[in-house]
Amino acid sequence: MDIFPLSCIPPAVRLLRALLFFFLLAAATVRAQEAPYFVTYDHHLEEPGNLEIETSSTLGIPRSGQRLFFAPYSEIEYGVAGRWTAELYFEGQSTSGDSAVFTGWRLENRFRPLKREHWINPVLYLEYEGVNEATRIQKEIVGHSELSNARNAELADMHAHELETKLILSSNLHDWNLAGNFIVEKNLSAAEGFEFGYSLGVSRPLAKIATGGECRWCRENFIAGVEMYGGLGSTVDLSLHETAHYIAPVIRWQISDTSSIHFSPAIGLTHVSNPVLLRFGYSYEIQAFGRKVARMFGGGP
Amino acid sequence: MRSPRICFWLLLTIVPMVVAQNLNYQQDPTWRAPAEASEKTNPLADRPELAAGGKKLFTRSCVECHGKSGEGLKKAADLQLSVVQGQSDGALFWKITNGNPDRGMPSFSRLPELQRWQIVLHLRTLKPTESSP
Repeated sequence: MDIFPLSCIPPAVRLLRALLFFFLLAAATVRAQEAPYFVTYDHHLEEPGNLEIETSSTLGIPRSGQRLFFAPYSEIEYGVAGRWTAELYFEGQSTSGDSAVFTGWRLENRFRPLKREHWINPVLYLEYEGVNEATRIQKEIVGHSELSNARNAELADMHAHELETKLILSSNLHDWNLAGNFIVEKNLSAAEGFEFGYSLGVSRPLAKIATGGECRWCRENFIAGVEMYGGLGSTVDLSLHETAHYIAPVIRWQISDTSSIHFSPAIGLTHVSNPVLLRFGYSYEIQAFGRKVARMFGGGP
Repeated sequence: MRSPRICFWLLLTIVPMVVAQNLNYQQDPTWRAPAEASEKTNPLADRPELAAGGKKLFTRSCVECHGKSGEGLKKAADLQLSVVQGQSDGALFWKITNGNPDRGMPSFSRLPELQRWQIVLHLRTLKPTESSP
């Protein structure tokens, strides 16, 4: 595990460095009207053969006595087939007054059982997570929560192999997207039972009609919404006490045909939630990636 | 010990992806819009100036497979053909909305309805040609 001490650098400089690191990464991920959510999934999958590279981060504003953390993660999303999208994640974390650590990887798959658009569109989600307890990206909130002050070095040594499934339900109604996810997670490395969580999202493009000319700032390039997510306990204790919940306005800005940024300030609703989570993301899409690779090897048109 | 294990998992991930990729698309004769959808008329039909916006959306989302003039690449339909141009606005709208995911055509239901109708407006500006026998 690569750990390097940060305690000798002032916190403001560390935060600035972390933000700079994020924006540099950003110069390296979603295209036409992707949903602006960070946690909630809708029923739209990656277009077959397209590759999307996204770099996002979660900045956790602490309660008193807690420490600020910055958790960047990168994801590579590929449209394997028309109804199958796979994503690979790598994530890390840096805590103020502590160290920066690599916190693991995730491989997720989303399958769409129905071929056509329906009033409600289900998607099945299956993910394997090879992470450690220092993970802070908070891509999903499940079970019960606690705000820990343990050192990264200790947490990084506690590995967890987890399986996560989601039932994603999503509808497009009069230009509004409504999405709900029910999450079940099982830590295969500890007897924690099955943990449950949820996320709900609603979003809408700011303009219904596309203008003729190229424009960066026009309303059609923006989608705004709100999402809410949190834990629902576990089979060990099926209750809402000590569960974290967040409500988060979200916005996505399509800055070019192939790239977009999105932002969300999430507000913690319970005493075990972080007061604020600031999420940023940048995504870049390579269209027909599969075909371009096939051409390199002499296949495809 | 770690490297072979990582290679094994990567191979296990990548091989099914490559196998699952649809590399030999052919037109699907069963992909037909229901009658009710085909009968819908374009609400923007009397606003042809909005086709410019449709062209922009087409360039963003469709050109990669259908080509700049809609001429179609190997795996996607030639949108200039009379077999395509002969379809109703409602049928084209339905096809853009639902896609044909098993044949590589994604659904564009994430676009607002009027923007999908704008794409239909643009499709009508493509120069029609006769279908090959």
